[in-house]
Amino acid sequence: MTRSGLEVLIAVAAAVALAACQQDGAHASAGDDGGDTAQTQGDGDGGPDTDDDPTGAGADDAIPGPRVLPRLTAVQYRNSLVALLGPDLPPTPVEPDTNPYLFFTIGASTTTLSELGTSQYEEAADRVTHAVFDDPTRRAALVGCEPGLPGDSCVAQFLASFGRRAYRRPLTATEHARWLEVSAQLADPDAWEGVRLAVAGMLQSPHFLYRVELGTPDPEDPTRLRYTGYEMASRLSFLLWDVMPDDALFAAADRGDLDDTAGIRTEAERMLADERARATVQSFFAQYLDLGRIEGATRDPVAYPLFTLTMPDSMRAEVELLVDDVVFREHGDVRSIFSTRRTFVNDELAALYGIDAPGASPITFVPVELPEDGPRMGLLTLGAFLTMNAKQTQTSPTARGKYIRERVLCQTVPPPPPEVNTELDAPSGEGETMREKLAEHRLNPACTGCHQFIDPPGLLFESFDAAGVFRELENGVPVDSSGDLDGIPLADARGLAELLRDDPRVGRCMVTQLFRHAQGRLDTPDEAPTIDDLDARFVAADHRFLDLLVELATHEGFRTALAQEAP
Amino acid sequence: MARTFLSRRTMLRGVTGGATVGLALPLLDAMLDGNGARADGLHDGPIFGLFYWANGMPWHAGHGALQASTGQPDLWTPAATGPGYAPSELLTPLVAHQPTVATGLTPHTEVPQTPPGQEDGHMRGFMVALTGDRIRPEGFDHPSHTLTALRPSLDQFVAKHPEFYGNDLPRFRSLVVGASPARFHDYGHWNAISYNGPDSLNQPILDPAQLYDLLFAVPQDLPTVARRAALLDAVIEDADGLKQRLGMVDRIRVDEHLAHLDEIQRRLELTSAPCLGPSQPADTPDLLVKTQIMGNLLGVALGCGLTRVFSFMLTSPASTHVFSNLGVANDMHSTCHAGEWQQVRDVTHYHMQAFALLLDELAAGVDPTGTSLMDRAVVFGTSEYGEGWQHSVAEMPALLVGGGGGALQRGVHVRDPGGNFSKVHVTLLRALGLDTPSFGFNGGETSDALPGFLV
Repeated sequence: MTRSGLEVLIAVAAAVALAACQQDGAHASAGDDGGDTAQTQGDGDGGPDTDDDPTGAGADDAIPGPRVLPRLTAVQYRNSLVALLGPDLPPTPVEPDTNPYLFFTIGASTTTLSELGTSQYEEAADRVTHAVFDDPTRRAALVGCEPGLPGDSCVAQFLASFGRRAYRRPLTATEHARWLEVSAQLADPDAWEGVRLAVAGMLQSPHFLYRVELGTPDPEDPTRLRYTGYEMASRLSFLLWDVMPDDALFAAADRGDLDDTAGIRTEAERMLADERARATVQSFFAQYLDLGRIEGATRDPVAYPLFTLTMPDSMRAEVELLVDDVVFREHGDVRSIFSTRRTFVNDELAALYGIDAPGASPITFVPVELPEDGPRMGLLTLGAFLTMNAKQTQTSPTARGKYIRERVLCQTVPPPPPEVNTELDAPSGEGETMREKLAEHRLNPACTGCHQFIDPPGLLFESFDAAGVFRELENGVPVDSSGDLDGIPLADARGLAELLRDDPRVGRCMVTQLFRHAQGRLDTPDEAPTIDDLDARFVAADHRFLDLLVELATHEGFRTALAQEAP
Repeated sequence: MARTFLSRRTMLRGVTGGATVGLALPLLDAMLDGNGARADGLHDGPIFGLFYWANGMPWHAGHGALQASTGQPDLWTPAATGPGYAPSELLTPLVAHQPTVATGLTPHTEVPQTPPGQEDGHMRGFMVALTGDRIRPEGFDHPSHTLTALRPSLDQFVAKHPEFYGNDLPRFRSLVVGASPARFHDYGHWNAISYNGPDSLNQPILDPAQLYDLLFAVPQDLPTVARRAALLDAVIEDADGLKQRLGMVDRIRVDEHLAHLDEIQRRLELTSAPCLGPSQPADTPDLLVKTQIMGNLLGVALGCGLTRVFSFMLTSPASTHVFSNLGVANDMHSTCHAGEWQQVRDVTHYHMQAFALLLDELAAGVDPTGTSLMDRAVVFGTSEYGEGWQHSVAEMPALLVGGGGGALQRGVHVRDPGGNFSKVHVTLLRALGLDTPSFGFNGGETSDALPGFLV
């Protein structure tokens, strides 16, 4: 930019307070009314309380957050259709999920379904019921008896059992009567058509499409609602398997097992031991780590010959395999994803990293230990992070630093002040390094407050270019990859990995994000004790992620809701 | 049983004792003349279109002191004002359609101090251009760029305005389509430009085949379709008990969902004859070709009366589309920020070429009276701010294209530096025949139409 431009900018900046940028902790929101209160919390440096009873329900001083009404995510909807009707269903396109605050569940509980989305549900219900009921074998398997007359006992019994599964609770007498009446009135040309339409109707009911978890007044505490056994079955199932409850969960709810901690723990542990939990854990990590942003990343093939069209998928798969390894095979400290030298590469990632990976092919990922004397160590030195936080043609220490602050440490980076040029690294000099361009962030008083917070950890990755390839020179100049985190000087990304290994903010951030994902909303300020307590349990469990899921599933903060409407 | 679940609606459009009665008249027979064109020209009522492109235009001195310091010329504003102005460089692609253009306009809405960041063009400029109001100030979170609207975008405002369709509802109140799939974020207004209200978005149809099926693949098994329609009464009734137990916000969400069921029921009941469509097209990554394909489908749909309102999102707000075909290496949003003026100029020019192709498709169909869809249309072209380097909301682009059924003057340029952007809204709403004493909200109110725009 020109000199005069900078002068204008500094004049504007003079009016801007040079407040410290760092905002630890998470902003919180009052859930379902959209009221959103930015706030600053302590960062938990002193460590959370650990004196709670590690087996009890915990966090008695916490006030639960409000209820929400999430619509099923696209995956939950499809999985539930298959659970109800069996496999081999025709495609059922639905309104795409959205992910405000990173999580699809938050989008599902805040957005309103569009007219097109509603009509997609209508068409899907028609299509899948035809697929099942037009086939005598399939419909017999589903219904289990042969309807004779419209609305007969076969139909009545089936609708009660199907309805209980679709609504995730027994139908009320009114509801049962309604669908029975539909099946009779629309039994044209025969009783089967009536049954089909009753099923199609239930599949369009808000009781199926939304997670109606309203709770009942807690007899011991009138300020709280307590989720019923059936509601807990749904909460566990959608959290741990992304699908409606299975028969065992329904049976547990019938028996009242899900009204107490031990019963919930038993079910949660059963579900986490099942293969289906792996996909949901992957889904959480992909959202928490914002991996969706790698999709469709492209690089100029001349400038970045190693970055193929399939590279974004390879980079994403690498992170998934690493997470799966730590969570489900090693049962290790999940924070180690940020510092381990272990990773999983296919042939093109091995080439990108310049390492040997015997047995790797385009579709075969093999485990490798990154070399001790090499530059890579942990997730933040792998392709996905490095690429999705860079531009097509250059690195972005600001984007990389912002990711570390927001995603890894759950800190809040405020917006740039008004009327300030937010991109000072416009093409200017030849041979200038990114570090030199970014110096303007630190010279300009309007920028320095925040960029001293964001840029120094991001500069640690300057030895990796915009495609994640290691480099020793940038524009012919040796790369300087030094930086710092909160004033602790570091030589490069490996130093940061070592530091994050024991940083208490990393685990607490995971707890916070998992809590938001599980609740389908941001945490409220009143829920800080719940998050503290979960963090303490996470620490006590040596940061094993599956243990955290069990602690969350059994926690009072997950089993209760605020009795009155949020203000 | 004494009570019937069909009682909620009249029986005649549904099913009685298994027989189908009273379906709507076949559309084509009712509305088309022997040549397949609509016979009654301008009397068919006006068409409203909303055309949106990302990242404004290349910056110049009109956008602010910093932008002036780059010394770049204004390629947007025509040199002369009034009717018959000579088009500027960036308006040249549109010249065949004689766009009426207002320059110099800017949002007049208030900007609350907290939470901070609400003055950003991506937020403020977008929301004023599309809704006439500021963003919803509570619930806004700049660090995650999360925001929503206070009210509907212009396409939905028109489509649901009681005077626009009156009792003569077409198959679709509106069609919401788009071209580029690139997104800055996968939520909120980064994803879609068409709002029904707070947190209620219409994501655009981006796949030509999906739009084709929606418009033309109409089920023909009438008794079955009638039962599908009748079934929705039971679905709506089933939700009634639920609503009473929800908080206000969720009750509104469910109510809106149920209102959509009414609309779908109405559409199913109209199912009796398809509008004759072209063959199902394939998707393409080329934005110009795709705009042409989508424009062609829209033209057929408008021509046979399937709707009179559409929105077209060429590129999404803060688009990350990579215009490698124009030699632009970085994504569009980054390219703006990096100050690549020439590349932003090239992309803006390309956006205008796409706009022209859409308008070409709508102008192509002419009925025997010589009236084209563009003669009936008011197509409002706009973007999210003036320019994308600094996100200035000065000099926001506003184009009104078409004859508006004789209500809109073609080929006029009005220059109104610092003028209230909602003057465009007042103008276009009045051109559509909607009684509009004023428009704009929270400091953005105005009762002025742009001078010389209305016939």
